[in-house]
Amino acid sequence: MDGNSLSVIKLKNILLVTVPDDPGDDTIQELQNKVLNAIEKYESKGLILDISNVNILDSFFARTISETTQMVALMGGQTVIAGMQPAVAITATELGLHLGKAISTLDVDKALDIFTDNFKTV
Amino acid sequence: MGCENTGECHIGSEGDIVTCRKVIRNVATAAGFGMTDVTRIVTAVSELARNVYVHAESTGMMRWNILQQPGKVGIELIFEDQGKGIADIDQAMEAGFTTANSMGMGLSGVKRLMDEMLISSELGVGTTVRVVKWGRIK
Ligand SMILES: Nc1ncnc2c1ncn2[C@@H]1O[C@H](COP(=O)(O)OP(=O)(O)OP(=O)(O)O)[C@@H](O)[C@H]1O
Ligand SMILES: [Mg+2]
Repeated sequence: MDGNSLSVIKLKNILLVTVPDDPGDDTIQELQNKVLNAIEKYESKGLILDISNVNILDSFFARTISETTQMVALMGGQTVIAGMQPAVAITATELGLHLGKAISTLDVDKALDIFTDNFKTV
Repeated sequence: MGCENTGECHIGSEGDIVTCRKVIRNVATAAGFGMTDVTRIVTAVSELARNVYVHAESTGMMRWNILQQPGKVGIELIFEDQGKGIADIDQAMEAGFTTANSMGMGLSGVKRLMDEMLISSELGVGTTVRVVKWGRIK
């Protein structure tokens, strides 16, 4: 399946994951496992989920993102969701979905800014 | 390569949820629905197909039909299973109600995404969910 296409990229103390356009439940589950393992391994301070390719976000996906955000927070990291397509944002809102404590940004660049700004103030 | 006006997909595994989404994305796009409506329709498919897979405890089918009416086009989706059924449909439609320790957002959300929604169910016999989305012909 498309599960193998999922890679976690380490950028200094941040992790970047690009989610494929139509992720199956197995891919989403794999994302959670890979992210948590990588956070532990690299002691990352942040996670950027690039969802700019994603064209469907249903309740299962939202629940897993919200859960992952919470787990990442328990391990001391902040999650940023980057690049949600307008049609996906409209649909997710109408469906009544929440992404928990994740921060959202327009794109990955702005997500990176959040981490750089945070580090300056620390 | 034009799309058929009717068709069906089997729902028996997690992978079938993705297959149903892909099929309906193509069908709805070919029928002329815009990007946002296609996303609404595909998201509804994901919720209803997953409900069959997770809750019915049996396999099921998704059938789709393109509906033609003067000035508008519709997509009708029927999800049918011979599973355990729903005890109280009004309660199942309430946001937050779940028997699976989930979020209980699926059915109430689908109602907002689609224009028509009808559920019929009998305990031990099965469940049928019919939804329709209408769009204007450009
Ligand atoms: N096809 C079905 N067969 C049997 N029961 C169903 C079916 N579809 C829905 N239900 C029942 O209706 C309840 C509400 O469904 P709904 O999709 O709103 O929430 P959920 O699936 O529990 O959670 P979520 O969709 O947020 O993950 C389910 O918990 C289940 O009890
Ligand atoms: Mg559901």
